[in-house]
Amino acid sequence: MEIALQDVGQAYGERWLFRHITAQFRPGTITAVTGPNGSGKSTLLRICARLAAPVEGKVTVTEGERPLVKADYRERLALVTPELRFYPCLTAWENMSFLLGLRGQELSPACYSELLSRVGLQEARLRGVLAGSLSTGQRQRLKLAVLLASEAQGWLLDEPGANLDASGRALVMGEARKHAERGGLVLWATNDEREEAAANACIDLGRSEAGL
Amino acid sequence: MHASTWAGVKLVFRKEAVSALRFRAAWAAMFMFALTTLACVSLALSGARLAAPLAAALLWVILFFASVAGADRVFAEEDTSGTLLALRVYGGAQAVLLGKMLYTFVLLLALGVFTVPLFLVFLDMTVASPLLLAMACVLGLAGVAAAGTLIAALTVGAAANSGLFAVLLLPVILPVFLPAISLTAAAFGAGEASLAYLGGLVLYDGILAVGASVLFDYLWYEE
Repeated sequence: MEIALQDVGQAYGERWLFRHITAQFRPGTITAVTGPNGSGKSTLLRICARLAAPVEGKVTVTEGERPLVKADYRERLALVTPELRFYPCLTAWENMSFLLGLRGQELSPACYSELLSRVGLQEARLRGVLAGSLSTGQRQRLKLAVLLASEAQGWLLDEPGANLDASGRALVMGEARKHAERGGLVLWATNDEREEAAANACIDLGRSEAGL
Repeated sequence: MHASTWAGVKLVFRKEAVSALRFRAAWAAMFMFALTTLACVSLALSGARLAAPLAAALLWVILFFASVAGADRVFAEEDTSGTLLALRVYGGAQAVLLGKMLYTFVLLLALGVFTVPLFLVFLDMTVASPLLLAMACVLGLAGVAAAGTLIAALTVGAAANSGLFAVLLLPVILPVFLPAISLTAAAFGAGEASLAYLGGLVLYDGILAVGASVLFDYLWYEE
């Protein structure tokens, strides 16, 4: 799967967040999107996910020669963003099995337990606890567990290390690198210099024009 | 990996039901509205009998406003709790729409099962044709569920969500109410039931459901 941006620009009212972004995000690479607060990093990720349309320019997603649209594209994506929330009335298990179930993936208790320990969570401590009662860090780790379980080709990560301790941030970087090495596409918005350095390419929205 | 639409519908329905059982505010408001209205009307009438057409219209007014108190929540709650993004990323359009529509229909059926018997008792109404009354209620509430789910999706994120929902729902739902009221009046003994109304109600419900399904794809996937 490949995402191509052609002369993309986004504005809110009269104010342009960014303009003339031309880039290609290829499998096997990690691309960092950087820039100061308010420069449009999260917006660019939403545009790449086709959750928002750009004011100008074009976003094309292809797999080989075949264009991917609507559900075909959406089911190849997984997101970790601060705006992504779990159902507060459901437990961690219920949230994960619901979201993955919508993708046709069955989550076994053994797989659930393994995923939780992979992201540094203990199943016993989450048992019966509603997602609304989890700490911010636990919720972030749970988002990572859904991401890992989703088997998505494209990972769009918005400040994935936010609310995580040093081991959590190392986990994110390690998993993103492994995903890219398996041929996955990773796009992450970050202000963390280490995350930026770990990427293969970078789009700096702090500049008036950016391109790869 | 592809999920079948029906499996997705069941998942969304189950999620809605579990959430509603754990957080009772939305449906409790619907039932309380119906109960309060029935009690007020019953006290105001003080045992006086209503004409069948008037009683039928009153029943549907109660059902409509009680539905509005809860039916718009199916997407608004996703928006306010911030879960809409996760649902958009992981859920297919048709599974989400049909799951929520089915849940709304079941909820409205429960509202009907709760409201109609109380209405008959409080207003001392006799039913000439229980089967016709049941059909009018089921088909009418199915129309409200289909239109309500779509308009709830359209108005999600709007600043004046609740007001906009009611304003948009009314014109869409009028073609459901007119035959439903007429059939309910006939069930209460006011003349013969028109088969054209029954057929029209089935047809309009179908159009609403299919129209919602087609439109929802455009709403769910930004391109």
